[in-house]
Amino acid sequence: MEIFVLVKQVPDPEATVKIKTDTELEIENKYFTNFFDEIAIEEALRLKEKFGGKVTVLTADPKRVDALRRGISMGADEAIQIADPALEGSDPFAIARVLAAYLKDKPFDLILAGRQAMDDDSGIVGIALAEALNLPHVHSIIGLEVDISRKEAKVIREVENGKEHLICPLPALFTCQKGLNTPRIPLVMNVMKAMKAQIKKLDLVSLGIEASKVGSPAIQAKVIRYLPPPKRPPVKMIKEEFPDNVRTLVRLLREDAKVI
Amino acid sequence: MSNEIWVLAEHQDGKVKGITFELLSGGVEFSKKTGQKVAALLLGYGLEEATKGLLPFADKIYLLEHPLLSPYTSDAYESALLPLLKDHQPSIFLGGATSIGKDLFPRLAMRLETGYTPDCTELSVDEEGRLTAKRPLFGGKVFAEMVFSGARPQMATVRNHTFLIHENLGKSAEVLSLPIQLDPSSIKKKVIKVEKSPGERVDITEADIVVAAGRGIKGPENFKIIEELANVLNASVGTTRAVVDEGWRDLKDQIGKSGKNISARLYMAFGISGAIHHVLGIGTCKTIVAVDTDPNALIFNYADYGIVGDLFQIVPALTEELKKILASEG
Amino acid sequence: MDKVDVIIVGGGLAGLSCAYELSDSGMTVLVLERGDFSGSKNVTGGRLYLRPILNYLPEIWKGAPFERHVTKERITFMGRGSSTTFELYSDRFNEEPYPSYTLLRAKFDRWFSDLVSEKGVFVIPQKRVDDLIREGGKIIGIRSGEEEIGADCVVAADGILSFVAEKAGLRPPFQPKHFAVGFKEVIQLDSKTIEDRFGLEEGEGAAQLFIGSITKGRMGGGFLYTNRESLSLGLVIGIESLNTMEPREEIYKWLDEFKERPEIKNLVRGGETIEYSAHLLTEGGIHHRPKVFTDGMLVVGDAAGLGLNMLVTVRGMEYAIVSGVLAGRTIKRAKERNDFSASSLSEYERLLNESFILQEMKNFQYVPSLLSNQRLFSKYPQLICDVFERVMWVDEEPKGRIYQTKIGELKRHLFNWETFKDWLQFRKI
Ligand SMILES: Cc1cc2nc3c(=O)[nH]c(=O)nc-3n(C[C@H](O)[C@H](O)[C@H](O)COP(=O)(O)OP(=O)(O)OC[C@H]3O[C@@H](n4cnc5c(N)ncnc54)[C@H](O)[C@@H]3O)c2cc1C
Ligand SMILES: Cc1cc2nc3c(=O)[nH]c(=O)nc-3n(C[C@H](O)[C@H](O)[C@H](O)COP(=O)(O)OP(=O)(O)OC[C@H]3O[C@@H](n4cnc5c(N)ncnc54)[C@H](O)[C@@H]3O)c2cc1C
Ligand SMILES: Nc1ncnc2c1ncn2[C@@H]1O[C@H](COP(=O)(O)O)[C@@H](O)[C@H]1O
Repeated sequence: MEIFVLVKQVPDPEATVKIKTDTELEIENKYFTNFFDEIAIEEALRLKEKFGGKVTVLTADPKRVDALRRGISMGADEAIQIADPALEGSDPFAIARVLAAYLKDKPFDLILAGRQAMDDDSGIVGIALAEALNLPHVHSIIGLEVDISRKEAKVIREVENGKEHLICPLPALFTCQKGLNTPRIPLVMNVMKAMKAQIKKLDLVSLGIEASKVGSPAIQAKVIRYLPPPKRPPVKMIKEEFPDNVRTLVRLLREDAKVI
Repeated sequence: MSNEIWVLAEHQDGKVKGITFELLSGGVEFSKKTGQKVAALLLGYGLEEATKGLLPFADKIYLLEHPLLSPYTSDAYESALLPLLKDHQPSIFLGGATSIGKDLFPRLAMRLETGYTPDCTELSVDEEGRLTAKRPLFGGKVFAEMVFSGARPQMATVRNHTFLIHENLGKSAEVLSLPIQLDPSSIKKKVIKVEKSPGERVDITEADIVVAAGRGIKGPENFKIIEELANVLNASVGTTRAVVDEGWRDLKDQIGKSGKNISARLYMAFGISGAIHHVLGIGTCKTIVAVDTDPNALIFNYADYGIVGDLFQIVPALTEELKKILASEG
Repeated sequence: MDKVDVIIVGGGLAGLSCAYELSDSGMTVLVLERGDFSGSKNVTGGRLYLRPILNYLPEIWKGAPFERHVTKERITFMGRGSSTTFELYSDRFNEEPYPSYTLLRAKFDRWFSDLVSEKGVFVIPQKRVDDLIREGGKIIGIRSGEEEIGADCVVAADGILSFVAEKAGLRPPFQPKHFAVGFKEVIQLDSKTIEDRFGLEEGEGAAQLFIGSITKGRMGGGFLYTNRESLSLGLVIGIESLNTMEPREEIYKWLDEFKERPEIKNLVRGGETIEYSAHLLTEGGIHHRPKVFTDGMLVVGDAAGLGLNMLVTVRGMEYAIVSGVLAGRTIKRAKERNDFSASSLSEYERLLNESFILQEMKNFQYVPSLLSNQRLFSKYPQLICDVFERVMWVDEEPKGRIYQTKIGELKRHLFNWETFKDWLQFRKI
């Protein structure tokens, strides 16, 4: 199988994110490979181990290649970075257009992405890319079984209060959710090799994309203001002894918060 | 360009989902300011009951009925909706931040080259019908207020409980049944079955009240005291990743960064330490209660009410107390 | 078995400094860190003295993410319901290079590890070293999970309970009396508030140490350091003194009680605790250092028992950094000789002996026995507070002559055999 995996290096959940100006954030320099993308890489590697073929990790990011290195250290065969300063400030749709431009004439059976990137949390890139490539997609999968002879996949996706089982012809794009697998932790020696591995770099010109199609000029929904999360009043600790504390809690929930 | 506010209706077993009523209530609120009409988009097959349910909540119902539209697939919905959206160009198009909305809207927005803001927690309009959407980023560490450029519709998916349902909107919708043609070959995905989770509870993202326990519960068998509390409150049961990783609960119940974001009216956390990954998922809950034996547990930083105590003592007592009160009120 | 030149176990300050020193040597150097990233599991009080280390690692500190340079030193003696604070400010604290900085390890170690990585060292997190591989008596590599990796030299930089040094037979198993335990909270406050509450200019910091009733007579003390946008507040308590406690209290609650004292409460008011941690510290002193070298291996930092508890200040970070550098130098020389035997690596012990580290540990060698004296943590701080309180107190009665009433009383407390013995002990420091 020929598999492409979309990966992104994102701020670690523990990184502090501060509002610098209305439209500018200051993000602590703590990055990791998007949690869901690692699940996607793992799934691709398992398919390759089963059916043979090739796994390519792909990112559209002018600066960070660590997600690609993570992919290689886990076992991906090739890494491709679409790096162009014009990409700075792109929205997920622009990223999808760029990825589509690269993938449109490549042979593949499957594209895997993460359910969402832990920075913009939007869950757009994968699905929008499927649209651009006219591929079927399944979002937020937690189970995957490929039938190579019939060129189709049995997929399970998470829905409210249940699981949806689907059959989807290949090629297709799936976005991966926690529960699909547990990503391997790469071997030390493979991490060392990955740190030295060659990464193929492409720019927008080579993909035939105009700069106006990406970055802030192409944005259809733009941020006018960043805001801190709504502040909660300080916690009210109920310090009475048991069981008075339980009674007080019930009273506060009824009379004070009025939620029950 | 039609000057309408559209809401994608979601339904299950003939019943329209709460999120749709919320969005229509919000839409009607907007229309008071903008003078626009509010329309529900109802897709599926065998929709009489759902149509009836929607009548008092919208000015119009666009009815798209076809066997291939049931059950939902993005392929079929997209084929049915795209021509309509291109035709009418509504001003606003809202959906739930659900397994349907989040699945479908990115494809539509990509094709229509219009703006889309996912997973919103607040929406407002000005007199001209320009939408401002507020949504969490970085799992809720910051929020962004976003506006749309000229392209229409302005698309957004919205979290549960963002709007309140108004029962008396005083509407009686005009039902417009639209002819549709679907090419079976354009529908590539096939749903073979939907496996319902056991139990009656609604999904934690939809629930009004969520009670949750973390590793402090010590074992899967002990969840029964949490279940009992949930029964009394008609709540859903959530948990932490630590518990899911132990295999004590199903992944669908996990709250937080790598699980679900919930926006319940009341969230109660028992034996949950309050790791950032977890609390990011509860930021938009209205009232939060925390019970933990460790007075230093970080969860208390995020709670409205806290008790330092043993959950094995507190939870059963709380269940009893609530039972008593609810019984006395009938 | 794959092989590299040097494997450093532990990506804390000791391990990373060793790696930095080796980064220009052409050797393949691997740092294995079990945490999600360097700094993720590391705890310190919060103050690094820069001057001692400038001779060893001069060039890198310009870009370091320090929090604040300390310009204000305070010591607070805590009695029951009273306290006396001494404050030192000196213009010299504001002269560059600043003598000491506060820091937060999560940020600092991560920066250091990025720096070391840029210089070509492989720093690999999420890797716990589980065992050593030997050939004859010599250590020739490590095992981590399923993987075995060989090296000419293994450096144990794995912190206070160094499992690696223990596996190598270089240190005896855990003995409580050589350790203390520290509890710490990081409390978030904006920088303006911090500067106002502590009377600081922008960028300046304060260090405040507490001794007395907060540890309920047990060996130990409290600390409070100002960071850029948070405070580090903690307690350090000797483990042995806890073992004698009946009934056993939950000592983490002491930190809460400490926080509730008016001396602290108003300083941390409105702040949110964003981090809570507990960690061990070395108390053994120079007489209880493990062996620091053997065939194919060196031990650095806390793992080598290099640390000093000087009553209320804890020293360990400078020792970790400098011992790491010295180990790096030793390894480079051993490489020239291509000899990683114990006798070749013994040069490290010599370098340590010549450095300020062992000099200081020698100079303060009697501190551990002094610290086991509980009067230091109960009677004397109380006395200071009592005397000062009486001097300042004005009552309905006419105020008595200070010397007669107060000093007379002081005499009774101070001129006795017990205090004389304590005083003799003190003179050794
Ligand atoms: C990339 C990433 C993503 C993650 N995503 C998520 C996520 O989506 N959701 C999530 O939850 N976590 C997530 N985590 C994990 C998270 O960091 C924490 O490990 C996890 O939330 C801890 O779960 P817990 O509170 O149940 O367990 P613990 O941290 O072990 O806390 C148990 C608590 O129970 C208390 N306790 C014990 N006994 C009792 C008793 N008898 N009565 C009352 N209290 C008691 C203890 O004092 C303690 O506070 C993620 C981690 C990473 C690295
Ligand atoms: C509460 C407290 C307050 C202190 N205050 C001060 C102060 O103000 N000033 C000062 O100078 N010193 C202070 N110290 C001491 C100082 O923090 C330590 O001396 C210093 O951190 C030692 O650094 P290190 O690199 O040797 O060890 P550590 O920082 O402990 O690093 C060891 C590293 O090894 C890793 N590791 C452990 N085992 C393995 C394994 N098997 N495999 C892989 N990796 C492993 C750990 O994850 C860790 O990152 C304080 C200590 C405490 C606890
Ligand atoms: N810049 C990018 N380069 C490659 N893949 C990306 C990029 N951004 C997002 N993705 C992929 O798309 C998924 C969803 O991202 P998002 O739409 O930003 O939430 C991620 O999990 C990645 O798999």
